[in-house]
Amino acid sequence: MTLQAEFSAALLDAERLVPSGLIAWNGSNPDKRFAVYRNNVVTSLIDALADTFPVTLELVGDEFFRAMARVFVAQTLPRSPILAEYGDALPVFVENFPPAASVPYLADVARLEMLYLTAYHAADARPLDNAAFQSALADSAALPNARMRLHPSVGLLKSPYAVFSLWAAHQGAFGIGTVDPYRAEDVLVVRPRSDVEVMPLRSGAFYFLEQLADGASFGDSVMAVGEVQPDFDLVATLSDLIGVGAVIAINF
Amino acid sequence: MTKPHAQNAISAITLAAALGAALSMTSAPVAAAEGANEHCYGVALKGKNDCKAGPGTTCAGTSKVDYQGNAWKSVPKGSCEKTASPTSPTGFGQLQEFKEKA
Repeated sequence: MTLQAEFSAALLDAERLVPSGLIAWNGSNPDKRFAVYRNNVVTSLIDALADTFPVTLELVGDEFFRAMARVFVAQTLPRSPILAEYGDALPVFVENFPPAASVPYLADVARLEMLYLTAYHAADARPLDNAAFQSALADSAALPNARMRLHPSVGLLKSPYAVFSLWAAHQGAFGIGTVDPYRAEDVLVVRPRSDVEVMPLRSGAFYFLEQLADGASFGDSVMAVGEVQPDFDLVATLSDLIGVGAVIAINF
Repeated sequence: MTKPHAQNAISAITLAAALGAALSMTSAPVAAAEGANEHCYGVALKGKNDCKAGPGTTCAGTSKVDYQGNAWKSVPKGSCEKTASPTSPTGFGQLQEFKEKA
């Protein structure tokens, strides 16, 4: 093992010995200095996760979250110096973390929080305005083959749990006691301007948006949803998407 | 150019009607100057700045010092130039980035 590999392995595993040959600049005990550094590394990464996943943390409490994060950190070094990206692997970790099994919706709440952060850092784009929608409407014969371009910050989540309601309850929208976590919910996350919007999706809207995101035409997307979700409400869904600013172009 | 087949021709009317109805129910967010917030430079404390999205730009929580002149925070519209900024030549936050005074 190279000294560097030995050094980084020892950083994340308190059981390991401090790499031999280390000396402190002021002659103090290298073991103690290394322990301080190790603690700073691990704690800063746990803090970063706590900042990224505030609702996940609230759902299980600070103590549990930090203990779980410590295990995650020990097996997951950052792959980039951008701390905002650290944690994209946490949802999968949570899903397979046995002590969290009693909170089955925890991983999906973490997924939603990661989507929120990703949308926050996504590129800016201007949502399509009313005039542009009206002019698209004027060319109605071409609508079936037109392609709606979604905002680059759009993120979609499909969950068997009430992931939006759980998240919203923690933003103070309503009491957590009123939420049935076992009702399936789909969510749209988008940042049309400075602020990230999180919106629950109607029946079929998730599939519709997936089609649009894949580059399917407007007509094909509507037909595809109709086949799998007969109660899909196209008017209400379009109204939701227009209102939140999720569409940035209609290309003919 | 391909000729639309019958199913698509029906869809054109359906789609236009749906889009028209949706537009009459909601209005799209108004462009540009309408947001409730503005980007305010020079008012964020160290590490508390908001994101400046896009390639090669600084991002959330990266400012190194308090009141850094090229780091912004999203604040309610109209409040930026009323917020004190010790580093700003005007003494207040600014809507454009600035060089901090010494």
